[in-house]
Amino acid sequence: MKGIQAGDADALSQLYDRYNGILKALILRVIHNEAEADDLLQEIFMEIWNQAKNFSPQKGKPLGWMVTLARRRAIDGLRKKQAYARAEERLQNETEQQPDAWVHNATEDEIILSDTRVLIRKVISSLPPAQQQAIDLAFFRGMSQREIAAKTNTPLGTVKTRLELGLKKIYDGLKDLRDEL
Amino acid sequence: MNFEQFQNQSRLYVIGALEPEETEEFEKARQKFGKKGEDFLTKCYALHEAFALSLRPAKSSDAIKERLMAMVRAKKET
Repeated sequence: MKGIQAGDADALSQLYDRYNGILKALILRVIHNEAEADDLLQEIFMEIWNQAKNFSPQKGKPLGWMVTLARRRAIDGLRKKQAYARAEERLQNETEQQPDAWVHNATEDEIILSDTRVLIRKVISSLPPAQQQAIDLAFFRGMSQREIAAKTNTPLGTVKTRLELGLKKIYDGLKDLRDEL
Repeated sequence: MNFEQFQNQSRLYVIGALEPEETEEFEKARQKFGKKGEDFLTKCYALHEAFALSLRPAKSSDAIKERLMAMVRAKKET
């Protein structure tokens, strides 16, 4: 990030190589459209380049900053297009249809990320399905508690409890990983 | 709001799941807890990374990077 803050284009190139897969997966999870996800990914890296001066290591890791930015942009994009209904239909057809065919020689970074993914998924999958669903709708779809309550036909108080319990379990479950994140 | 409640609300806040009326109350508590509250909130943002890292990386088109770097180079030249 220091290199990017100093205007070094090679640093951005390296950051792109390291994190484009993670950010693209996040965007795809929100908007469920390959071409739109690619366009948004490009815009987000351009924003990273333009906004790098606003990044402060005291407030967290670069990946956290980038993920926050990418998620916000992806959810904004989804809302602007008012594509909830369309995305929902695709979501049902493509649930977890991530690109398994991405086969190549994994770099050391990718192997570490893969181990991290297994650990995180283990924590998430230990939650009751209703808690997982509430968190998924809040984080990846940007839904408020009221929207989740309406969508899942669940009392608002129950949604709040599911989110609180689920997030606490994930937060606590990631304690050992948190320093690495 | 006690600190335990603040912690619960912080986790909802970072994923944008607080309702507007809760956000107002949360912001007041955030001021009340000061640095201790801010430190906890910063830790909660690790949830963002965790959720992103829980997904299998997706391949993007090589053309995207080429376009991006061309835009960056053009911007640097202006």
